[in-house]
Amino acid sequence: MKAIRVSHTGGPEVMELVDLPAPQAKADHALVKVRVAGVNSIDGQFRDGRLRTPLPFIPGQEGAGVVTAIGPQARVVKVGDRVAWSGTLGSYAEYVAAPEEHLVPVPSSISDEQAAAAMVHGLTAHYLVNDAHKLKAEETALVHAAAGGVGLLVVQMARAVGARVIGTASSEQKAQLAREAGADEVIVFTHQDFETEVKRLTSGKGVDVVYDGVGKATFEKNLNVMRLRGMLVLYGMSSGPVPPVDPARLSEKGSLYMARTTLAHFTATREELLARTSALFAMIAEGKLKVQIAKEYPLADAPQAHRDMEARKLAGKLLLIP
Amino acid sequence: MELGELPMPELKANEAMVKVAAAGVNFIDVYHREGRYKVPLPFVLGQEGAGVVTALGADVKSVKKGDRVAWTGLLGGYAEYAAIPADRLVAIPAGVTDQQAAAAMLQGMTAHYLSHDTYPLKRGETALVHAAAGGVGLLLVQMAHHIGARMIGTVSTEEKAKLARDAGADDIILYTQSDFEAETKRLTDGKGVHVVYDSVGKTTFEKGLNVLRPRGMMVLFGGSSGAVPPFDLIALSQKGSLYVTRPTLVNYIATREELMARSGAVFDMIGAGKLKLRIEHTYPLAEAQRAHRDLEGRKTTGKLLLIP
Repeated sequence: MKAIRVSHTGGPEVMELVDLPAPQAKADHALVKVRVAGVNSIDGQFRDGRLRTPLPFIPGQEGAGVVTAIGPQARVVKVGDRVAWSGTLGSYAEYVAAPEEHLVPVPSSISDEQAAAAMVHGLTAHYLVNDAHKLKAEETALVHAAAGGVGLLVVQMARAVGARVIGTASSEQKAQLAREAGADEVIVFTHQDFETEVKRLTSGKGVDVVYDGVGKATFEKNLNVMRLRGMLVLYGMSSGPVPPVDPARLSEKGSLYMARTTLAHFTATREELLARTSALFAMIAEGKLKVQIAKEYPLADAPQAHRDMEARKLAGKLLLIP
Repeated sequence: MELGELPMPELKANEAMVKVAAAGVNFIDVYHREGRYKVPLPFVLGQEGAGVVTALGADVKSVKKGDRVAWTGLLGGYAEYAAIPADRLVAIPAGVTDQQAAAAMLQGMTAHYLSHDTYPLKRGETALVHAAAGGVGLLLVQMAHHIGARMIGTVSTEEKAKLARDAGADDIILYTQSDFEAETKRLTDGKGVHVVYDSVGKTTFEKGLNVLRPRGMMVLFGGSSGAVPPFDLIALSQKGSLYVTRPTLVNYIATREELMARSGAVFDMIGAGKLKLRIEHTYPLAEAQRAHRDLEGRKTTGKLLLIP
């Protein structure tokens, strides 16, 4: 099978297209023919060594495809099932062997591209809005990087709840995308100070919740834009890690809450994974959630896909088609 | 602290004069006295009390002379009279004594916001409360018990363990004899608790994060062992997408409506016999020094009141 292999960590060029034997479906694993693989920032972190995994490896955490073989202990899936997954390394390939517990069924109303594009970002947006802080109709949320992969989905889900959404974006073009997704207000943070603007837009009260995947660059000001007892949900740190925090600051700024969340803890059981994906797929099928696909690349162009991802110019999901 | 004879406080337009029947003694009074929390000198101590309205400022409409009232969060309770902004006074219902009201304002409302708002406990959930025989601890245990939550408490002595059990704690850990992290894990079959209520701070915070279940909440509401040093947020994701909050009472009685609702709920519990206050000792006003020594000696397990 064709696959992308990383033999030593580094820039996008370390990803090479190679011919490898297809993996076997052992034990409770299933062999899946990958139709679409999602490109995520975490793939870049494995590629360049910020996150470690034994070398050589096949990158890619997310995808959608068809089950072609099952291991002797597999009970949940069968050959021919359309499935999607996240959190399984090795998706940049024609075939991947995944524990069947990681695979979720894809309904006929959802395309492979939609399913692959929605797994990491869509499930993340879903847990942020529904669980990490259960957003209510009368609340106001600040969504950083509102035109980003997760951001655009958080904006749509927050609007679906009926909440008011204030987004931040780096350019007028991205601001437009966030508005089209349903953001009530968008702050172009390269032109305007988001702290001042959020205070103005909330008549000085502040927002109920901040959804932040940016981290270091936004942290301090976030503490100043929440209402009393407001919630900061940190789900990523694209600008770098937040320095250690003195908990006394949370009381000084108004009995604030802070959480640092990861998707794994919100899909920890099979029941929760299935419930969350079926809710997500239902929103897509009903047209309530549009998953923006920026570009599709042949598998061989994985290095270019990573360059485009890291340049942050394309808004929406990047996909590889093996 | 010296007993002195002072003119009556001047009454501003928005204030009511209260003849103080009982004033609560709290650790915050010690901090004010020591200068750890700065207040312009000289000043009259005290952050909570109860009594009877004897005079009204020109603009006051919400109370009248003769009303029995209580307050918290304003200086001046260690005196025969205190001038208090009327919008911070709450009416004491007939089923609650002045002493009960004075004893309940700070610690009772703290226990109430912790268990009902900061982390609204639900039946079937498990909470760990440190210093379960302390002033707030004993009230928190009772409120959690009424909600139907399981309460694991930590205490330093067998005597305090008994108090916490009598208040309704399901399990008690004597942290002087066993490691609370290991014990909490054992008591929860390795799952951990939904919420930790921690007023101890420095010596308990780190281990507290280890006994939370995924998506659990650390409620840090004091620092009797010292301030928690800055911590790395990555610990929160590594330990299970945890939540941390550092609440203070003032943010939970920020509006008149919320103050009324919260004090009303606490008084209702007292009146119905669902919340027992342990008034350990009452002192004449002149013995404020002794009251502070007793409090700082940490020999007391109940509320101390001054009676002017």
